[in-house]
Amino acid sequence: MTLWEVRNKQSAHIESVDPTLLPAVFQRLNEMGFAAGQLIRCLRRSPMKGPLVLQLGDTVYSLEQSIASRINVHPA
Amino acid sequence: MKNIILVGKPNSGKSLLFNQLTGLRQKVANFPGVTVELKRGKFEQFELIDFPGTYSLNSLSRDEELAVQKLHEAMHSDDTSLIVCNLDATRLERSLVFGLQVRDLARAHNKGLIFALNMIDEVQRFGHNIDTEELSRDLGCAVYALSAKTLIGLHEFKLALIKAGQSPEDYIPLANEQSDSPVLEISRGLSKRYGIQADVVLKRQNSIDDFLLNNIWGGIIFLSLMFLLFQSIFSWATPLMDAVEAVIGEGAAIATGLLPAGVVNDFVADALFGGVGSFLVFVPQIMVLTLIIGLLEDSGYLARAALICHKPLSYFGLSGRSFIPYLSGHACAIPAIMAARTIESPRKRLITMMTIPLMSCSARLPVYALLIAVLVPDIRYAGGLLNLQGITFFGLYLFGIVTALTVSIVLNKLTSLNKDMPEMPFILELPTYRLPHWKPLIHRVLTSAKQFIKRAAPIIFMVSVVIWFLGYFPQNGELQSSYLAMLGHWIEPIFQPLGLDWRYGVAILVSFLAREVFVGALGTLFGIEGADENIAGLAENIQADGLALGAGIGLMLFYVVALQCVATVATIKGETGSRRIAWGLFVGYGLLAYCLAFAAAQLF
Repeated sequence: MTLWEVRNKQSAHIESVDPTLLPAVFQRLNEMGFAAGQLIRCLRRSPMKGPLVLQLGDTVYSLEQSIASRINVHPA
Repeated sequence: MKNIILVGKPNSGKSLLFNQLTGLRQKVANFPGVTVELKRGKFEQFELIDFPGTYSLNSLSRDEELAVQKLHEAMHSDDTSLIVCNLDATRLERSLVFGLQVRDLARAHNKGLIFALNMIDEVQRFGHNIDTEELSRDLGCAVYALSAKTLIGLHEFKLALIKAGQSPEDYIPLANEQSDSPVLEISRGLSKRYGIQADVVLKRQNSIDDFLLNNIWGGIIFLSLMFLLFQSIFSWATPLMDAVEAVIGEGAAIATGLLPAGVVNDFVADALFGGVGSFLVFVPQIMVLTLIIGLLEDSGYLARAALICHKPLSYFGLSGRSFIPYLSGHACAIPAIMAARTIESPRKRLITMMTIPLMSCSARLPVYALLIAVLVPDIRYAGGLLNLQGITFFGLYLFGIVTALTVSIVLNKLTSLNKDMPEMPFILELPTYRLPHWKPLIHRVLTSAKQFIKRAAPIIFMVSVVIWFLGYFPQNGELQSSYLAMLGHWIEPIFQPLGLDWRYGVAILVSFLAREVFVGALGTLFGIEGADENIAGLAENIQADGLALGAGIGLMLFYVVALQCVATVATIKGETGSRRIAWGLFVGYGLLAYCLAFAAAQLF
């Protein structure tokens, strides 16, 4: 499943980030901590498919669908 | 003089540290990307340069690209002696990613580096301590724990900084066994060892978010905040405005009383107090607007607002990040256009920049306020909490926003501006909520007023003087037979369809230099014509003279839409690199404004 499918208040481990993403974006996600094995927790889903809010490491991020659906996860 | 450069990720207390070190007040903001320029200040015998906050040396957006480019330039410069990298003690993992990149950079260029482990007070509050000596050893660089807010450790840090600045060669990062591992692994390892548990620090932030980002409440709170913002510009500023008006009235009375009656007296009364004075009245409103935007920015709410707005704005071809430039565009379009650099998507950034001039900036405030005072009665509802003038004011702002969104849709659907550039996704870090610092905030409010006066006063003064001379002579005070009237009658046909006579035509034309000039010009014109004692109340003078409702509404709509600001056109040209876009907007918005004013004059 992808990060976009993680439900509210659920946690998941990151499997992989789509390597066909723009290199700059791929690298930035990596620096933000989106790397295999990392635990994320979905803090919030916005109405009308708005950006989701998640906690990763010591930071809270918000990602929109186009990017969250390219990060593969498996439920924790 | 040797330079010390200050780097770090956004929202890590970097700007506050800069202020504490230099004593120079600059913008301390809690939203990513507010610091666009390099701020300089003196620290002891050194020059301290504050670099814009960046998350990484691998840039994603335009503002980061510029910052990283500047940083590389500084690395190659012999003037740079030392780098201070600011770390956020509450988010060690995240800030060390950048910190380690900077360490590698410093090592590669043989520059000294020290880490400032800022916001240590927030970690200590939870009973957690970070062993900076151990951390120094692991990093191969000096680390000092401090809090720029509570001043813990700041004195020691200053002493260390002076020492390091004198012998930076002793502070070049040492190579250690970790140096070859990927930055991410090292930072994760260090943060596990030294950092505070994330859930502890994030607990308060997350519970506030539960409320402010709630699916139902979040939107209501957001809209209420925006409405209150515009209401308060009117209601909070009124006492201040009355005070300024009284002072100007007193000054005019004293000055005209001292001078013998005649040309000089008329000049002082009409051109100085009537022209320049009538625009000073609106400075308090600009201060209130700056104060509220500053409060939102410093508290961390702006990032949430960007998140709330992202989905709705995406229907118009904009990003959630467009919200911040749009909001600050209500103070002034120029910094707002610069702030659009934080928008990652080149296409959304361009559309945002092109529509920012439709946000009602503070220069329009005097014009709106004058026209509202003339046309809208002061009726209060809900026990004085709301008033009709405030609501009209909000309506004008809203009209500007709606027009901007409409233009965005049109640009998005019909043009292929920057479509060939790669589309960047919306990724946002939500900063911790913080109580704003009053001192820098108040300083910022005063600076905004000072800058507004400094920028507008000379041009208003010149225009007022020229208009006064043309309007006063040749028949000493007979406006209708003056030189200006002759010129005015010549251009009157352009403004007649809008229901406006030549005096308004002249005021509109000169306000293409800068919008505020409109009020000053009308103040001078009505001052010449009116009785000498009646200087302060320009609104009453216009009311007595009679301004048709339709023409008045048209005039307001004209000022919402028209791009009457030379500096904005220049900034758009600079940021887009396109003369065609900049002047195209000038002409396009001008024509649209004229059509709207024409329609209003016919309809009402």
